Amino acid sequence: MHDLNVVDLSRLQFALTALYHYLFVPLTLGLSMLLAAMETVYVVTRKPIYRQMTQFWGKLFLINFALGVATGLTMEFEFGTNWSFYSSFVGDIFGAPLAIEGLMAFFMESTFVGLMAFGWERLRPGQHLAVTYLVALGSNLSALWILVANAFMQSPVGAHFNPATMRMELSSLPALIFNHDAQAKFVHTSIAGFVTAAIFVTGVSAFYLLRKRHVDLARRSFRMAALFGVLATIGVITLGDALGFVGAQAQPTKLAAMEALWTTEKAPMPFNLVAFPSQSEQTNHGTLQVPYALSLLVTHSLDGSVPGVDQLEKDAVRRIHDGIPAVTALKTLSANPSDATALQQFKAHEKDLGYGFLLERYAPDVTQATPAQVNQAARDTIPAVAPVFWSFRVMVAMGLAMLAFFVMAVIYTMRNNVQDKRWFLKLAVWMIPVPFLANEAGWLVAELGRQPWTVYEMLPTWMSASTHSLGYMIFSITGFVLLYTVFIVVEMYLMVRAIRTGPGTSPGFGEDARLNPAPEA
Amino acid sequence: MKTFLLFLLYMVLAVLVILMAILLGNSGAWYFAWLVGTTMIVLIAAAGASLLDTQDEHAAQGATHGDSP
Repeated sequence: MHDLNVVDLSRLQFALTALYHYLFVPLTLGLSMLLAAMETVYVVTRKPIYRQMTQFWGKLFLINFALGVATGLTMEFEFGTNWSFYSSFVGDIFGAPLAIEGLMAFFMESTFVGLMAFGWERLRPGQHLAVTYLVALGSNLSALWILVANAFMQSPVGAHFNPATMRMELSSLPALIFNHDAQAKFVHTSIAGFVTAAIFVTGVSAFYLLRKRHVDLARRSFRMAALFGVLATIGVITLGDALGFVGAQAQPTKLAAMEALWTTEKAPMPFNLVAFPSQSEQTNHGTLQVPYALSLLVTHSLDGSVPGVDQLEKDAVRRIHDGIPAVTALKTLSANPSDATALQQFKAHEKDLGYGFLLERYAPDVTQATPAQVNQAARDTIPAVAPVFWSFRVMVAMGLAMLAFFVMAVIYTMRNNVQDKRWFLKLAVWMIPVPFLANEAGWLVAELGRQPWTVYEMLPTWMSASTHSLGYMIFSITGFVLLYTVFIVVEMYLMVRAIRTGPGTSPGFGEDARLNPAPEA
Repeated sequence: MKTFLLFLLYMVLAVLVILMAILLGNSGAWYFAWLVGTTMIVLIAAAGASLLDTQDEHAAQGATHGDSP
């Protein structure tokens, strides 16, 4: 039996390391693409300012990239060290996209990052541009394979459980890759990275414009990032809606938590703009609602309705009862793999095996489970509502704020007078943390909303962790916190130093002294 | 010869795009949307920079001719 404190600490450690890693990833995804856009202008126009821009933002990209790689590698090992049962149970499926990511995207990205950084004097402009595009493509392909793997956890398709090996096995790689959840999630996440980079570039450019330093570079960077950002933000909001639509069908419990839907209501359903959900009372306090909006948002129809927690818990009770024979048959098959009756019983109830596993947490012998234990397991199928509900609203509010910001940014920059709007430039600097917070909130919605499953409706989280000691977990979490604190201090120091120094005053990262005159101020 | 090679390159790219649209149209619509959307975002951002250069050149010409805006 797993120590539930160890499970919680394993979750905490994974959440901390993933949230930390996810501070760097979106900027890498977006900035690589923005670099490609800047270098495209350089190659087409041959104006040195665009080369200087690419090199300067490329330096910031490389600092961020290095930290992203360092923090990402530990996570792949974490699956094996802290989630060994999970790795064993779904490794055949989960391992494939991770391996492809490592072999194809990561090596491609890393190789071409080197060429991008040090190839300015060795490659022709067209060749260097191709390299920059390959870096951008490689970064985003890395994200694709990770999200294909993650989408399997959210909406498991293309796999089946083999009772002979007691593991899940891949049955269709195309089904895994073209999983609707993977598609919507990849596009939403990648474009969110574009928004992050656009806010970062407008913010740093605004910093220069406020101080009247590197004005030519800052005006052009601001213009490009504003256009890049406004389109990306429109995309990320549209794709967020698509992801919600896909998620509503694949994970109704996550949707119920996101919307704090305790009871199933008739269409058209209202949207809870503000609410203070109480999990123990299964109700909301201080609710502010928008009539009809939820049906429109989630089902794209006024007639559409989605199940609330009450309905979902009833469904869970039924599925837990159906999962009990699946678990008992599996135990028989474990002792005697050739037992045909057990195999037949397992096949008949296979789809609810995960619900049987949920009950095992409270009743190790599931055949002896009491109605109270079944109800308790059913209640577990609903994620923690308040954090999911509020994380979702924080993400959406920040997304809308960034859209408003970019619309204003485009208006000012197209009028060519953004440098005169000091209030807006100050706002742009203060906007820098916003997309990072929105990204973290989005991650929380996706992963907290998946609970209590590591693989939705198949493998509960409580079964997935390794059987470490409590002391080991506390030691490793402390180690990660200390190490990552050092990392963030180093990252911030390098970033701030590079930004304060500005383009063209220090060698390195391919900067060309011929194109880098002394600083303007 | 250079023009022919460029023509060939662009034709190959066009055929590739059509093939991807056919292959991804049904099963991978969002992936295809990402390819098209990202290309559009990158090109519009690049066009915005070129437009800024043109605006600056016009402003400079206007200043030289004494009719600055």
